[in-house]
Amino acid sequence: MTTTTHTPPATHNTPVACARGFLTGGVVGASLAALVVGTVVENAPLFVAGLVVPTVYGLLLFLAGMPRRAREAAVVHRTALARIESLEAVRGESSDVPVRFELTVVPDDGPAFRVGTTQDINLVDLPDYRPRGVVVVEYPPDRPWRVRIVKRPTPPWEKRAASAHLEPVSATTTVAAPPEGCAFGFAVLLGLLLGAAAVVLLFRADLFGRDDSAQPPPSVPSASSSTSSTASSTTVVTSASGTVTLGAGQSFLDKGELGRAVDTLTKGGDARQALTVVVGERLLSVVFAPTGAPQTPAFDPRALPYDRFPALVDEAATALGAGSPQTWQITAERLTGSLVIRVVVTGPGGTASLEADGRGDVVRRAGTAR
Amino acid sequence: MDWMDWHGYLVPWCGVFGAAALVGYGRSLAGMTRAQRTVRVRGRIERVDEPRHGSSPEDGIGVVVSFQDPATGQEFTVTNDGERGERIRVAWTGREIGVRYPRGRPHAYRFVNDPSEGGRGLGWPTFALLLCYAGPVTVLAIDRGWPWALLGFCGPWALSGAYHLPGNIRDRNRRLDRLAAMAAVPGRFVAVLKSVTVDDDGYTSSRLVPVLAFTTLDGRAVTAYYESNLPDAAGARGLDVTIHYAPDDPAVFVLDVEAGRRSWKLDMAVNAVGLLVVATAAVVGAVKL
Repeated sequence: MTTTTHTPPATHNTPVACARGFLTGGVVGASLAALVVGTVVENAPLFVAGLVVPTVYGLLLFLAGMPRRAREAAVVHRTALARIESLEAVRGESSDVPVRFELTVVPDDGPAFRVGTTQDINLVDLPDYRPRGVVVVEYPPDRPWRVRIVKRPTPPWEKRAASAHLEPVSATTTVAAPPEGCAFGFAVLLGLLLGAAAVVLLFRADLFGRDDSAQPPPSVPSASSSTSSTASSTTVVTSASGTVTLGAGQSFLDKGELGRAVDTLTKGGDARQALTVVVGERLLSVVFAPTGAPQTPAFDPRALPYDRFPALVDEAATALGAGSPQTWQITAERLTGSLVIRVVVTGPGGTASLEADGRGDVVRRAGTAR
Repeated sequence: MDWMDWHGYLVPWCGVFGAAALVGYGRSLAGMTRAQRTVRVRGRIERVDEPRHGSSPEDGIGVVVSFQDPATGQEFTVTNDGERGERIRVAWTGREIGVRYPRGRPHAYRFVNDPSEGGRGLGWPTFALLLCYAGPVTVLAIDRGWPWALLGFCGPWALSGAYHLPGNIRDRNRRLDRLAAMAAVPGRFVAVLKSVTVDDDGYTSSRLVPVLAFTTLDGRAVTAYYESNLPDAAGARGLDVTIHYAPDDPAVFVLDVEAGRRSWKLDMAVNAVGLLVVATAAVVGAVKL
């Protein structure tokens, strides 16, 4: 028997299908990651987004697929007689067993074709289906591989099937469903991984900077660096800079905290000069002056009026009104000659700043309400 | 997290479901819902195939049905093969059965056991409205205390129950009257259908459905699934029984009239007690505000 195989082009390998697969994978990966990351970092909007985004995406996919489904449903199925070439029960545990049929479909108004299909058949009805037996089938004319055996044909077809004797057809075409493209699967997988990675990367600071305080911040690569960490803080000192990061629940405005931190950074005997000192709620960083360059406008970081810092922050914050959550930053430098301590406080009410001199006395105020 | 943040979710929640409900009601008013665009005709059962002993009950009783498409006048003769709507559990030659299909596509027919059934497609919009309503009630209950939840949820439920109560009582009385007027004929279990399913854990469960056959006093040969509890259903084949059926609709039949009567009385009692509980909860909520 000469058999030619007619397989439609793999619709799953078109760039559009791959892009859709990639997008679907991305949405699934990103939402799953958002659910997990949202739970870990206790970020409610992220968690909600992990639920809402896939729902909306699924809805959009459903809406986008409506015209295609309506088109497919409007196709009137064609009924024909078919000869069972072979059949094989795939596995049988329940009363309906999936059976793999190889059929030769003989339409009234077209050439015969071979097709394979799997259909659930009840064990009691199984003896009705025998090789070389004739059955009634129906299929959508545009997708003949979706053939289905009609178990309860209408009386005219029942009569035809009972009286028909279909001879094996010498040359037939085999039809099969378009193969699932491997590129499509790859696009889905890639989208899944990238979607998940994007969410994790976006929230890496919350994820890894939270409790795992042993993670050192990037340091100057050329300089030798030393890292020490205690339960409450992390200290990184290189030849060019030093940073101290406090653990959760602590603040550099707490009494004595700043002095201790600066002492840790400058210990080692020699009084290292600083170019800039920047203090935030939990981060202190000092940029040291290069050694052997006496012209640089450096100052002794230990000489700053640290005990005045909480009062300066309070004073700047009063311009914004009390009670609102605020972030603050203090910068000390003497690039313009005399030592200047700049305090910036930001809250929902706007930003306020003030400048103080080396003793901690306020010399200038500025406020910008939003 | 701050409870205030939850209020931010309330607006999109109500917005989305409120909009969905509005769109749904609008479509229903315009006659555009799927239910409204569905053609409903009455088909006639032309032939009934006796179920094969041991076969699956999932496909329903095999029937050949004829119906006419009112749009074209074309006559169709079809069977209930594959996914064809509601399972046919009671059949006799000449029985009227509902057939529905999207306008212009009679080949996509589905069977409905009750031919008079038809809706305006208000189910989903009403569900959306319910979700939209549940949002503010939940937030109110969280902010101001549990009595708001009781009043907000049980109040409308009790009102709806009270509204439907007279109809339920009429329905029960009709069924009790029907039980009293039933005719008795001999019948026989002609087959027992079996469906065995294996779930993912390898647990096998089987369902047995005995099939009854009886002939009414006016000569209609009825084949019916008997889905009520039957002691020794597996060995029921060949068992002779007395069938009590409603002469106006043989699809309504029982083996034990007295049990049927008790069951309807119990049903009404459960209904009334349920309504009472819900109404009490609503009142408690209102008092405790």
